[in-house]
Amino acid sequence: MIKNKHTELYNLPSNTWDEMFDQLKQVRSEYKVVMDYLDLESAEELNKKEELSKVLFMSQGITFTVYNSGEGIEKIFPFDIIPRIINAEEWEYIEKGIKQRVTALNLFLKDVYSDQFIIKDGIVPIDIIYSCPHFLREMCNVKVPHDIYIHIAGIDLIRDNDGTYYILEDNVRTPSGVSYMLENREITKRLFPDLLPQCKVRSVTEYPNVLYNNLRELSPRQIDNPTIVLLSPGSFNSAYFEHTTLARLMGIELVEGPDLIVEDHKVYMKTTAGLQQVDVIYRRVDDDYLDPLVFNANSMLGVAGLMNAYRRGNVTIVNAVGNGVADDKAVYVYVPEMIRYYLNEEPLLKNVPTYQLGNKEERAHVFENINTMVVKQTNGSGGYGMLMGHAATPEEIEAYKIEIMKDPRQFIAQPTISLSSAPCYMHGVLQPRRVDFRPFAVCGPSGITIIPGGLTRVALKEGSLVVNSSQGGGSKDTWVLS
Amino acid sequence: MLSRVAESLYWMSRYVERTDGMLRMLKINYAASQDAVSEFSWSPVIRIFCGPEPEGAEGIEFNSRAVLQFMVTDKNNPNSIINIITQVRENARSVQDHITKDVWQCLNEYYHTVKDPKMKAMLKKDDPISVLDILIKQGTLFYGTTEVTMPRNECSSFMRIGKYLERSIQSVDVLDIKFGSVDHNPDLLTNTSYWKHLLLSIGGYELYLKTYRQGIEAENVLEQVVLNNEFPRSVIYSMNQLTKYFDRLKVDGDINPGDLGFLIGRLQSKVKYSSIKGLKQDDLHLFLAEIKSELYGIGNAFNQTCFSLS
Repeated sequence: MIKNKHTELYNLPSNTWDEMFDQLKQVRSEYKVVMDYLDLESAEELNKKEELSKVLFMSQGITFTVYNSGEGIEKIFPFDIIPRIINAEEWEYIEKGIKQRVTALNLFLKDVYSDQFIIKDGIVPIDIIYSCPHFLREMCNVKVPHDIYIHIAGIDLIRDNDGTYYILEDNVRTPSGVSYMLENREITKRLFPDLLPQCKVRSVTEYPNVLYNNLRELSPRQIDNPTIVLLSPGSFNSAYFEHTTLARLMGIELVEGPDLIVEDHKVYMKTTAGLQQVDVIYRRVDDDYLDPLVFNANSMLGVAGLMNAYRRGNVTIVNAVGNGVADDKAVYVYVPEMIRYYLNEEPLLKNVPTYQLGNKEERAHVFENINTMVVKQTNGSGGYGMLMGHAATPEEIEAYKIEIMKDPRQFIAQPTISLSSAPCYMHGVLQPRRVDFRPFAVCGPSGITIIPGGLTRVALKEGSLVVNSSQGGGSKDTWVLS
Repeated sequence: MLSRVAESLYWMSRYVERTDGMLRMLKINYAASQDAVSEFSWSPVIRIFCGPEPEGAEGIEFNSRAVLQFMVTDKNNPNSIINIITQVRENARSVQDHITKDVWQCLNEYYHTVKDPKMKAMLKKDDPISVLDILIKQGTLFYGTTEVTMPRNECSSFMRIGKYLERSIQSVDVLDIKFGSVDHNPDLLTNTSYWKHLLLSIGGYELYLKTYRQGIEAENVLEQVVLNNEFPRSVIYSMNQLTKYFDRLKVDGDINPGDLGFLIGRLQSKVKYSSIKGLKQDDLHLFLAEIKSELYGIGNAFNQTCFSLS
């Protein structure tokens, strides 16, 4: 029985898993309460809510600036008011899968920067590691506190047309987006009063406390009140809002490179009362810019001498330096093997089938079937430098092939996965749009915590499969039910 | 506390104080320009807030609308309200974790209000006082929000020091320029509406009436603006506040006061024990110039003592 307006107008995409409806266009049980609520609201009310969400983002300054002809224009990241909902059972599975994966990745980092058993045992080929630009020899045999390299991980998940979750990519360097998880929830509280408790949605507000407690435990000095700072590239960075939000919520100092100085292999910040020693740096600056004496010499964002202080164990850097070797897309292929090798377990969450273009046969296969493939750079991020085979013109494909042949190791290909769709409120009706999901794992000496929630990114263009915010993607609040 | 943060808070607050002074000045002068029978000159106002002969202000001295647009919404004027508020917001943005969320939102909204193209359009053809009132209110909101939500710590001490330093510089500037004009036009000394406008533009008219009760005299105006401790825009009031928050900073902030304590104390005494009634025109000018240069000296000392590390 299909009676209500929203359901009737919803064009279920073919051959795609929809988060709200099953194939018979019945509302899935986790969405029931929300759907009933939406049915009672007039289009006018929903438009008002959409408008309110924009005003709230704007007035709180959750914006980024686009520079156009010398004029800075403030924009908000697009936000869709309809939440994405994950039921308790699915969440339990995701949580377990991510814990397993992050545990293995962390062991891998420890191994690859010390004994390299995994290479010696022939699980991961040596050239894959040494050709990775993010494998830092500067990190070999550096002891990091509690052997934790990955303190914060953002693991991207997608769902294929049968609803199976796949790992799209691991982000274990400086994953961003967690402030949107927190802010989106605050906005939802205002848009849909009482609906959250009615649906028994689990809270995400614990994130800053969990992270703070972890950071505190990582202090090299065993003192009551270690100094913890968040190192940001500065207010021109597009994620600056996130940096200030996290610093504020954790009550830690937000610093920029020039605020810090290294003396006698210890890191200090410059305060009005003189120098104050820093114990833990939660950095949102990439490895390459951290220390001009060791990495990019032109960097103005880092601190000269920081790496030496780090190697001597006088300061903890979060996430550890050199993590890029674990989320390299060519290394990604070996993660299921890592899980078997280090944990002696079967991977719970699957990898998307991936072809390495450095391998001759696989490359030939990909070139033959390029129309059904997505080709990516192994160290790329943000949706830049991707080729979507099904949508590219022959000229684009030829040009991209030339790029690939320059250094095939730096590329991988995956069959186009359709991505699940979720309802978005657009132009007065519910419309399906493709989504992915990034939950955040926080790892400390006392274990791994995954906050029940995360960032759901949406491809706002109809039919588009690219969800990255730099490519016109938006976000949704994500509800995990208890 | 980080030196960079202290500096940003200090300037954020100084700039808001500056826009507040500017907007009130513009409002009263615009009203006066509507009363004026002869041509109304804006040049003193332009001089106070944009310096002598600023670029882009050529030939607009007698054109109220042009002056308002130049001083409020002109992006090419580095001292326009829109540019100052952009600075305020950039400073606030970089210290969001040190001001309360309410204060940040308030300044963010101020910024979006000034940037709204409607403001520019209204300033061009509608009632300019409405525009100025909207902006003054945004500043007032900031003062109130700060008062209600900000913890009384080092942050708020730096903010207040910025505010009162800016305010005392402004009051001295206004006096200096108003009395300076008397040099060229001695008739002004006895022109009551001239002094009334000065009082109105810094919000001291009603207090003046209650204090002196008889007609308006330049000497009394001077006394109120320099020495009346009940008047929130007097030099002595600002100096007292500055001293108070500096003393608090020494305790909370654990800063090394260096010369600062000496400079602030000296100027406070100098103002407090000055006898300005009966000063001759030349001596008055000298007196104001000295205070101003000592105020700048205090600003520089803050730079060196508290911010220089950044």
